[in-house]
Amino acid sequence: MLHLNGLGKRFGDQWILRDLNLQVREGECVALLGPSGCGKSTALRLIAGLERQDEGSIELDGARLDTIPAERRRIAMVFQSYALFPHLSVRENLNLGLKIRGVAPTQRQQRINSVLDTVRLKEMADRRPQQLSGGQRQRVALARALLRDPRVYLLDEPMSNLDAQLRDELRPELRQLILQGSQPVVYVTHDQQEAMALANRIAVLKGGRIEQIGTPEELYKTPASCFVASFIGRPQINLLNVDQQLTIGIRPEDLHFDVDGMPCRLISREWQGASQLLLLDSPRGALRMLCSGDAALGESLSVSWPTRAEHRFDASSGRRLAG
Amino acid sequence: MNRRFVPWISLLLLWSLLPMLWQLISSLSTAEALVDGSIPFLKRWTLVHYQELWASDPPFWRYLLNSAVVSGLTTLITLVLAIPAAYGLARLPQQLRQLLRWITAGAALFPYVLLFLALLELARRFSLGNNLIALAMPYAGLAMPLALLLLTSAFEGLPRELEDAARLEGLSLWQRLRWVLVPLLAPATASTAILVFLFAWNEYPIALTWLSRDDLLTLPVAMARIAGSSIYSIPYGAYAAATVLGSIPLLLLVLICQRQIVSGLTNGAIKG
Repeated sequence: MLHLNGLGKRFGDQWILRDLNLQVREGECVALLGPSGCGKSTALRLIAGLERQDEGSIELDGARLDTIPAERRRIAMVFQSYALFPHLSVRENLNLGLKIRGVAPTQRQQRINSVLDTVRLKEMADRRPQQLSGGQRQRVALARALLRDPRVYLLDEPMSNLDAQLRDELRPELRQLILQGSQPVVYVTHDQQEAMALANRIAVLKGGRIEQIGTPEELYKTPASCFVASFIGRPQINLLNVDQQLTIGIRPEDLHFDVDGMPCRLISREWQGASQLLLLDSPRGALRMLCSGDAALGESLSVSWPTRAEHRFDASSGRRLAG
Repeated sequence: MNRRFVPWISLLLLWSLLPMLWQLISSLSTAEALVDGSIPFLKRWTLVHYQELWASDPPFWRYLLNSAVVSGLTTLITLVLAIPAAYGLARLPQQLRQLLRWITAGAALFPYVLLFLALLELARRFSLGNNLIALAMPYAGLAMPLALLLLTSAFEGLPRELEDAARLEGLSLWQRLRWVLVPLLAPATASTAILVFLFAWNEYPIALTWLSRDDLLTLPVAMARIAGSSIYSIPYGAYAAATVLGSIPLLLLVLICQRQIVSGLTNGAIKG
């Protein structure tokens, strides 16, 4: 179990991470989700030992982790830029760490061959990283992480440099190779869809602090603030100001056509096949609405939503209101 | 390459290569042919200048060897000290690094000739005269600022995550330098090494004052002696031959390292 206790990091007077409390159990994957500059990568670098925290502590299985130097922490990290050594072939990239850590040559060969089989890169073993595609490079990085035999996996936006199709291909591989292991996994991303798809729990970060932490379902169904509500779920939630005190959020998928509802004007639509996204102009502001792809649309529409689908937030603080 | 540049490039090549060609031709011409244009083309040529250089006492290769020893040692000392120092500099906080960079640049631009009296004093005090290994010390010191500047920016150009990855793989600081950073810096190191070697190879005032024994002279001092060996005539031929011989080792060095130098010079221009 990985324990982050009140972790904080500042540069100068500026706190970029504050009061981070988080527990990641064995075999659990927790995603740190947030916009750029929210401190999520810093949290990862603190766990890895690449930077030193200014307050708080990190524990692994009940023992202090943050007193061990990064070289000996036995933590594997997968970088967005892959961080493969450009002057070494794939095989040498995988070999370097094993050699330094004193693994016997025959055993090294055996382990490298087996991990190359796992990531389906046997034919590429003698190529340089520059000669590989982005997806292949990231699989080499995964192989290197696997060979580290780590106590914790850290993934820093591992798929952000890949195009959408490659991401779809790599996601099951990532899940099978790393997320199904017994180690705690911390996954940093700014892509809510990726976090929802891969993580057991998600911590949404804003300005260096955890805004909310919970399962993807909890975050989607009971967002703790306007920020979380608009960060989780695509298309983005509609936020309507009712009065000075109250803002309500309605997800585009909760809107439905209703002749007795609010009259709206259709501004634009994106047809996505099974569904379509409508942008509506209503008396209460612009609305995003998701409806079935074969719905026939008239000139003027009337929409409404069930009251139970409303998320109610305090207008000034953005916090969720009870009930 | 754009065709429009061809004439300009030819002109530049001519500009820089013509003097060298002139020297080569002079070194192979008889003394009479150098001052008398009426001698027929086929009768102009001779190898006598080279033979003279070889037969002199001490023979000319001795100077080449002296210069090679001093320059090689200077390059070695400079790199061994500058690589770790540059790594350290590149890892300092931005403001401090900037300050040190300015100081280093100031030291690199300082006209070192102004130091030679002080250096001579040091040589006297510590009996460092007539010692090739001792001569490499001021050379290494004088070459250090430039080497430091070049290598620091090379270190800064390396993606930080490469070192992070190596660290998490379990590599200690020295192992990271040995297995990851230094191999990646090979191009920058090669071009720095050439520049340092060139400086030591060409250096004149310090060598002139630190060395007096005939068999320990370095190339520039020896060549100046040839030029001034007679008060009645200037031995153009022998001088040209010495110039040609003196530039051959440098040409070889540049040819050997040319791939690294070119990629080192364009380093930073193109993100790899």
